[in-house]
Amino acid sequence: MTESRLLEATPMLPQVAEPVPGTPALPGSATPHAQPRRRRGGRIRVTEVIPWLVIAIVVAWAALPGLFTSYGPTAGDAAAALQGPSGEHLFGTDATGRDMFTRVVYGSVHSLSGALVAVSVGLVLGTGIGVIAGSVGGFVDDVLMRVVDVLLAVPTLLLSLSVIILLGFGTVQAAVAVGIASVAAFARLSRSEVVRVRRSDYVEAAFASGGTFFNVVRRHVLPNSLTAVIALAALQFGTAILAISTLGFLGYGAPPPTPEWGLMIAEGRNYVATAWWLTTLPGLVVVAVVLSANRISADIARRGRA
Amino acid sequence: MTAEAPTDVRVPDGAPTPGAPRTRGSGAVGRSTPPTGGGRVVALLTGYVPRRLGQALIVLWIAFTAAFVLLQALPGDAIMIRFENPELGLSPEQIADIRASYGVDDPVLIQYLHTFAGFVRGDFGYSVQSGTPVQQLIAEAFPQTLVLAAAGFVLAVLLAFAIAFLSASASFAWIRTALRSVPSLFVSVPVFWLGIVLIQSFSFRLGWVAVINPGPVEGLILPVLTLAVPIAAPIAQILTRSIDEVYTQPFVRVVQAKGASPSWVLWRNVLKNATLPTLTMAGILFGELIGGAVVTETVFGRSGIGRITEQAVAHQDTPVLQAVVLLAATAFVLINLAVDLIYPKLDPRLARQVGASR
Amino acid sequence: MSRTHRGWQGAAAFGATLALVLTACGSNGGDSSGNGEPSGDPVTGGTLVYLEHQPHDTLYPPAAGFYPNGGLVNNITDRLVYQNPETLEFEPWIATDWEVNEDATQYTFDLRSDVTFSDGSALDAEVVAANFDLYGLGDPDRALTVSEAVNNYASSEVVDADTVVFNFSAPAPGFLQATSTINSGLVSASTLEGAFEDFGPGNGQNVIGSGPFVITAEEIGTSVTLGAREDYAWAPASRENQGRAYVDEVQVTVTPEDSVRVGALTSGQADVIRYVEAQDEAQVAGAGLEIYAPQTRGVNNSLSLRFTNPILSDIRVRQALIAGIDRQEVVDTIYTENYPLATSSLSSTALGYENLEDYYAFDPERAADLLDEAGWTLGADGIREKDGQSLTLVVNEAAPQPRSFEALTLISQQLAEIGVDLQILRADAGTYTEAIQDAGQVQIYHSMVGRADLDVIKSQYYSTNRNTLLNRDPATDTIADPELEALLEAVASEADGDTRIANSQAVQTYLAENAYVIPLFEEPQVFGSQTDVAGFSFESVGRPSFYEVWLDR
Repeated sequence: MTESRLLEATPMLPQVAEPVPGTPALPGSATPHAQPRRRRGGRIRVTEVIPWLVIAIVVAWAALPGLFTSYGPTAGDAAAALQGPSGEHLFGTDATGRDMFTRVVYGSVHSLSGALVAVSVGLVLGTGIGVIAGSVGGFVDDVLMRVVDVLLAVPTLLLSLSVIILLGFGTVQAAVAVGIASVAAFARLSRSEVVRVRRSDYVEAAFASGGTFFNVVRRHVLPNSLTAVIALAALQFGTAILAISTLGFLGYGAPPPTPEWGLMIAEGRNYVATAWWLTTLPGLVVVAVVLSANRISADIARRGRA
Repeated sequence: MTAEAPTDVRVPDGAPTPGAPRTRGSGAVGRSTPPTGGGRVVALLTGYVPRRLGQALIVLWIAFTAAFVLLQALPGDAIMIRFENPELGLSPEQIADIRASYGVDDPVLIQYLHTFAGFVRGDFGYSVQSGTPVQQLIAEAFPQTLVLAAAGFVLAVLLAFAIAFLSASASFAWIRTALRSVPSLFVSVPVFWLGIVLIQSFSFRLGWVAVINPGPVEGLILPVLTLAVPIAAPIAQILTRSIDEVYTQPFVRVVQAKGASPSWVLWRNVLKNATLPTLTMAGILFGELIGGAVVTETVFGRSGIGRITEQAVAHQDTPVLQAVVLLAATAFVLINLAVDLIYPKLDPRLARQVGASR
Repeated sequence: MSRTHRGWQGAAAFGATLALVLTACGSNGGDSSGNGEPSGDPVTGGTLVYLEHQPHDTLYPPAAGFYPNGGLVNNITDRLVYQNPETLEFEPWIATDWEVNEDATQYTFDLRSDVTFSDGSALDAEVVAANFDLYGLGDPDRALTVSEAVNNYASSEVVDADTVVFNFSAPAPGFLQATSTINSGLVSASTLEGAFEDFGPGNGQNVIGSGPFVITAEEIGTSVTLGAREDYAWAPASRENQGRAYVDEVQVTVTPEDSVRVGALTSGQADVIRYVEAQDEAQVAGAGLEIYAPQTRGVNNSLSLRFTNPILSDIRVRQALIAGIDRQEVVDTIYTENYPLATSSLSSTALGYENLEDYYAFDPERAADLLDEAGWTLGADGIREKDGQSLTLVVNEAAPQPRSFEALTLISQQLAEIGVDLQILRADAGTYTEAIQDAGQVQIYHSMVGRADLDVIKSQYYSTNRNTLLNRDPATDTIADPELEALLEAVASEADGDTRIANSQAVQTYLAENAYVIPLFEEPQVFGSQTDVAGFSFESVGRPSFYEVWLDR
């Protein structure tokens, strides 16, 4: 949990802070090397497509799992336990004879929705706090940011585990726990973005020309602060899958036999030496999805900059 | 956020956000308008430190209280978990006696005041699960986690530099591209899986390092590596980006044209730019590490704050959890305070530019 | 051995079960020595590296049932009486002789006079009396609990320095066996003064016993070092070693990750590991290493059907569950040959066992018929329904039991075939502790208990002990099935040995007839060891003894 939290707070972020498109006050900010690529424009780069393709496949698994496999996700054939990958069982079978590929396919809906819930919680709560703090400023800002400090000060693991204990065990609960742990990151980012945008000349100008507070925030501040936040959200998506799997490792994830990816990796770890496919193959799927999410995050941020 | 560094005293607030300094373009540092202008510089020296300390204490108190409320809200309690376990085979009367002797059914406010008074006196009480004094638990575990965290962080920084350096200077483009995706790969691997695979390969298969009763240094190798990999990733990203940005700056070409060695120029500027965000992140990461090496500690069977926390959560061992929260919050507050204070010293530009108009 | 010793319900009474015990041990390679074991004279010296699954949480003997606790207590304390793990007979240890009155309400022990605790103090009648006063009565103010094995304890009398008498308020036929268990490990007077806290991790060096080992170092949560006591000279007569332990030191290291524990053994970094999971046995055996699987000789690993729940109050539903579970498949798929299929609520290696396998036959058609008969008809989703209620039951994941979750997962798959929806409860400790005490939340309770005494069946099912059937509803404190209560009481209060066995068998039959319990398998403790570790042995329910271990290297 915490190890992944480390990341969630940080990576890739420089671009995020870059000026947002349409910020008139910052004309010189376009990245020199980003410009030419943009002009090359029409051509779609393979490296930008693959991540989307990966996500598309996984989303298809989540939406229509029956199309990809003929086995059931929880029905096992005890006689076929612990078989290695083969034509019949692409990813092999587990200790109770369940087809691992099927479980990965059916698990995608749990893992994706888990990650989605986690990101949404962080995004909504965090951005809410951040935007209010950044827009209102003053005392409210101080108070809200101290609350965020407290969130950061309490060990993430403790926070997540307590939330799970409070809410009960389950995919959604684990996701909410991970989401709450990321509230602070979203809050700080969105606040700094809002503060930055607010201080830009055109927002000052909007206020000066008689815009009401809410109107200005809604029309100018929010849209211009959003790119960075969305980039963080895409990044969080991958991180959340990992964080949920770490909760599974500690025994606080989705209750089996939910075919959740993290849980599958965590459950299979005792077989690392004897049945490598149980952790490795679902692990590779997770790596692929997380890498794709990171990639997409980076692209969003770069496009935002360009 | 970093842009605010010179002016807004709450620099670390920006920490998890991009720390990258805005060196690119003109007037990069601090595009934002300082809230109150240059007056803060004076405040920094006079009112700033005491104010931060005051805020720190408030954060600590809120964290303590929030943890208490949170723990009270959890279903069941430590006594129930410890003594109503059917394996002990205790009768209901015996359990009731023990509950009374622990005072767990006292009014919540009284329990809070009691615990709070204890903490203020430095008395953290006893673990309900094991009966060990909390002070002793923490005192034994903390140095272990500290060593692990410190070593992990140092290795992560070294790794990050290696990745960044190679990805900027490797002779083939494809190597550079491949190296650039290393940080992303590093953050995509579940830590517990990495730990287990490292043990299986380097200890059990190859027999290079022992994981059972190893020497003090030997025992650190694999856990530190496990811990360093995911931390190295964001640092490497900051460095790589910093390198990119420095390359694109006109002054680099000017300096190069004047005959300075390119790598000297590059690294001097990269370091200058990357130090602040790395330091900021160090603050956050380190605070997290103190409370959070649980996965690494579990996999490698090391004792440490993470293990204690996990076990205490599992048994709702309130006294231990309260102490852990306080410890982590203290570490967090202190490190951030330190980072805050070091910021302007590290980069005089920040101080100088305060108040400059944008 | 006086007439009283012989007169007590010893060997003769257990004769019937004895044969079973021995055959069972032989069949699974249990606690007898393995194949490639070194022979020759024991070598003194060396350090044994022993990997534990979890850290210990207390050394207070009555609370030492948790295996990591028991593994330490067994080696640092001695007991009054030695229960020979092979014969299950009682032999002198700290007590040279004992006498039990007619109705088992008074026990008199004569003690050795040459035994000292590791702090130098004498192990005399005074301290023995103090030990049992605490274990029999407890002390809630110090959070020190009563020993589950000691029932009806009233008082002690110190007759002289080496004679002590214990009085009971009601017959306590299980007391002699109780004095032989680790829950009755004798500790010094200074140790007895401590509170629960003083027995906790970090205080191991202050827990003073008279055993062959002493805790010499401890790192909370990670390791405990046991050092051999040079002057140890009071082992039970039937043990080969009569002097100090052969190894100088035992390094007990906590290694929670299964894969790491097994890998450490196969790569030679550890000498002995506890808790080899069934799926890892092949790996250990494949590396040419030893597997020990001593039986726990008590109530089998089983599912208690809480008949106070409205769905399970119908015996036909309970019978259908029994008939609908293919226990053989569970054992074959999830476990190994070291986990024999259960044939009664008690293990075949337990005292008083009676073979009742006919009650537990797998017959899915009969199961379906029974459910039809009981009015549960198949719904559209394959789950049976009755009056709009679906046939959904909840079972707890028994975290301490090997592969509980996997076994239950397979069982839920089997039950799905007959239209029963079995949910597995996995929850945090607080929620879990509450849920398992409520038949409305957990209808099927997965558990086991090991103890080599007839009392064990009472421990598992009696209202004020583990109460796994929730015969006593914790919420209302009412007893649902008084007949079961009476039968269980009879086991623990009858002085005559043969009658006790008959009473235990009556309980087993009653449980089978009423379909209260689904026994799964006879649970072993599985250890893996290097082939050059000799003399590794176990007390009667599978807790390790390092006393005779020596390293042939």
